[in-house]
Amino acid sequence: MVTISIDGQKIEVPEGTTVLNAARKAGIHIPTLCDHPHLKPYGGCRLCMVDIEGFRTLQAACTLPATNNMMIKTDSEDIRKARKFVLTLIFSERNHFCPYCQVSGSDCELQNAAYYEGMTHWPLQPNWQPYPMDASHPYFILEHNRCILCRRCIRACSDLVGVNTLGVEQRGAKTFVIADLNVPLGESTCVSCGMCTQVCPTGALIDRRSAYRGQNTTVDRRSTVCVGCSIGCGLQAVTRDGLLIRIDGDWNAAINGGVTCKVGRFYPVTDDRERITTPMVRQNGALKAATWEEAIQAAAEKIQAAGVNGTAALASTRLPAESLFLFRQVFAEGLKSDMVTSLEEGSKTALLSDIAARQAKPFEGSLDAVNQAGAFLVLGADLIEEHEVLGFFVRRRFPEGVQLIVIDSDENSMQYMVHCGLAPRKHTEKALLHGLYAAVAKLGQNQTAYTGQADEEVALASQTTGIASDLLLEAAFKLAGSSNPVIIYNPRTLDEAVLAELLQLAQTTGAALLSIKGGANAFAAAQFGLDRPFALNGHTVAYVALGDDNLSEKMIKQLEKAPSLIVQASHSSKLTAQADVVFPVAAWLEQEGHYLNFTGQLQVAHKVLDPREGIWTNEAVLAAIAQRLGLVYQDGWKDALVSRAAPVHIVA
Amino acid sequence: MTKPKIASDWLGGCAGCHMSLLDMDERIAKVIELADLRATPITDLKHPDESGVDVGVLEGGINNSTNEEVAHLMRKRCKILVALGDCAVFGGVPAMRNFFTIEETLRRAYIETESTDSEGKIPDDPELARPTRVRALQEVVPVDIFVPGCPPDADTIFHVLAELAQGRRPVLKDDLLHWH
Repeated sequence: MVTISIDGQKIEVPEGTTVLNAARKAGIHIPTLCDHPHLKPYGGCRLCMVDIEGFRTLQAACTLPATNNMMIKTDSEDIRKARKFVLTLIFSERNHFCPYCQVSGSDCELQNAAYYEGMTHWPLQPNWQPYPMDASHPYFILEHNRCILCRRCIRACSDLVGVNTLGVEQRGAKTFVIADLNVPLGESTCVSCGMCTQVCPTGALIDRRSAYRGQNTTVDRRSTVCVGCSIGCGLQAVTRDGLLIRIDGDWNAAINGGVTCKVGRFYPVTDDRERITTPMVRQNGALKAATWEEAIQAAAEKIQAAGVNGTAALASTRLPAESLFLFRQVFAEGLKSDMVTSLEEGSKTALLSDIAARQAKPFEGSLDAVNQAGAFLVLGADLIEEHEVLGFFVRRRFPEGVQLIVIDSDENSMQYMVHCGLAPRKHTEKALLHGLYAAVAKLGQNQTAYTGQADEEVALASQTTGIASDLLLEAAFKLAGSSNPVIIYNPRTLDEAVLAELLQLAQTTGAALLSIKGGANAFAAAQFGLDRPFALNGHTVAYVALGDDNLSEKMIKQLEKAPSLIVQASHSSKLTAQADVVFPVAAWLEQEGHYLNFTGQLQVAHKVLDPREGIWTNEAVLAAIAQRLGLVYQDGWKDALVSRAAPVHIVA
Repeated sequence: MTKPKIASDWLGGCAGCHMSLLDMDERIAKVIELADLRATPITDLKHPDESGVDVGVLEGGINNSTNEEVAHLMRKRCKILVALGDCAVFGGVPAMRNFFTIEETLRRAYIETESTDSEGKIPDDPELARPTRVRALQEVVPVDIFVPGCPPDADTIFHVLAELAQGRRPVLKDDLLHWH
């Protein structure tokens, strides 16, 4: 600890704390622009100048570490003059005109800083050099006229998501934020995570959807959880007058720390599917609007007519745990159907649960392992196409020298960034993993006893998989030679034999295992036993609790064959067009519910928006069906969640 | 003691700042109680008194040769010059045209607009003011008080006029200071 004095206030801070953070701790405001609490200090804007006794000149508080007995002044005539000068230069460099900027009013940190200094005008006029605007990106616009070159966007692009699309060209006043080697953003390697728009202090990065639709002072913010995949990122839904205008990553969320991807940030806001607004029942071949009473009656009659085991039921894993549990009670326990499952029926999470049951303990690690890992082995998962935030967590650690090994017999978008890419022949993953296991032993880095013939086994694996022995050894060396390696895998692509080899490899390298689980509540669905492959198998009624999810063409084709189809869904689709009974239900932000993420964290997705009149929650529809059929059900989803062995410890 | 004299005029603006001045409602009577409101675009007198005024208020930026003349006249005849609104303080919305040449802007306005049905003609009567690059007031004449806002709130304008009328220099901060 070091003791310092800021504006006469004595405080103790840990060694290495910057003067800026020390001042924040003491409750003293130092204006900043390029600094962002979730990005590394950069020291670019020089607005945070402070006076330190014994220093010849003013110092930037954001990058200067506090040292013992430092005497700091944050307010004086000199400091105010310096700040005004800094702001004057920034205003004169490009074209900052508040009346027609979307962040003017309360969202612009540059304007706020000028107000804080009481600036009524710019002592220097802009140079009137027009700068271009890049509007090639579908979700946001880069307006160079308002850019102050603070590089927050660039740091977010590298430090937070590890994508490194943004950078600068030239230097001094000619410095320019560019994408890749100066290509339009829309044609660049940008992955549309939108973190740059979330950190931009001015109006330079404009979110197309929310611009001019509300400001910090006029919008409501509510924390919730993304249901795009099983990571469960914390999000902040920004609403105004009951309308969703934007989604930000929630900086306070433990899982993602503010980072999110396009699926969480942009997809929900740009969703233009047509909402279903009224229950519908098929009469004389055509779907007709009906009352809730009529629709529930029609559904109940169809289900009753089908008799025992006549109804096949399918639920989306975007539904809250409460709804999924009720769904199981209605169809599996109440109606005793033998085909009650979820859309993630192929995810094989159940396989993991079975192994956990056999081992009598969870075998997967926590998300924090990603931050400690010296190497990653990714098996069968494309962390750019799915669970992208997990991919960001891996990629942003590249500058620390972590190694990425990817095993995939298919096309994998991570291929171009790997340090070691292994593309085995189809269905030879088992041999490959065993080869790696043997290779680790051959290198003498096995942490568990090895009894086989390493040379022969590596050679055999090479022959089977079509991967050179040298490459196998290199991968084994990168994995076993690193500290705290992590293996990320997608159970969808594996069978039990492959998984056994994977566990063996994890043990001998001391690697932590993490599996992506598919949909937001796929893990919960598996815990509830909603995990078998779907097939109509002669069932005469199909009940689909789709919520706001989409169905694949293949699944729709399969369901088409059901003589009777009952669907509860938020949006019109090919499926609802074929249904005999349709219930309009709440979408993600319109209902409250729990979600179990891929590392076993149970989270609440809060209700943010009111659904329009006449739309029920998924749970309410299922409860109404149960009551009409005279089925008993009870609350108990939390116990059911942990009653089955799970691959990872569930924190419920 | 005689009441301080206030005169105002508008340049390359939209008259919105003067509308905001009127928006102070009954407080305008208070201003008249404290000061002698002389020539303004909304009173009968059109030019500031030759004998001079204490406070001159100008709305709008300097967009053409006439604006320049008006600004110089006001500067010559007033002791304290107030730049009222974003156009006078920064250049404002008209300054967007600075990203193009004068020829381009004139061609766009008089020939290329979608509503121009015949060939169109750029006005060239020698008696017309000559358009220039849009400048903030302070680029042409020295300014004493800056009152930003598009438009400045009536509260802000009342504060500025009341302070000046009572011989104090107005300080804009918190709710009274905004640039939009």
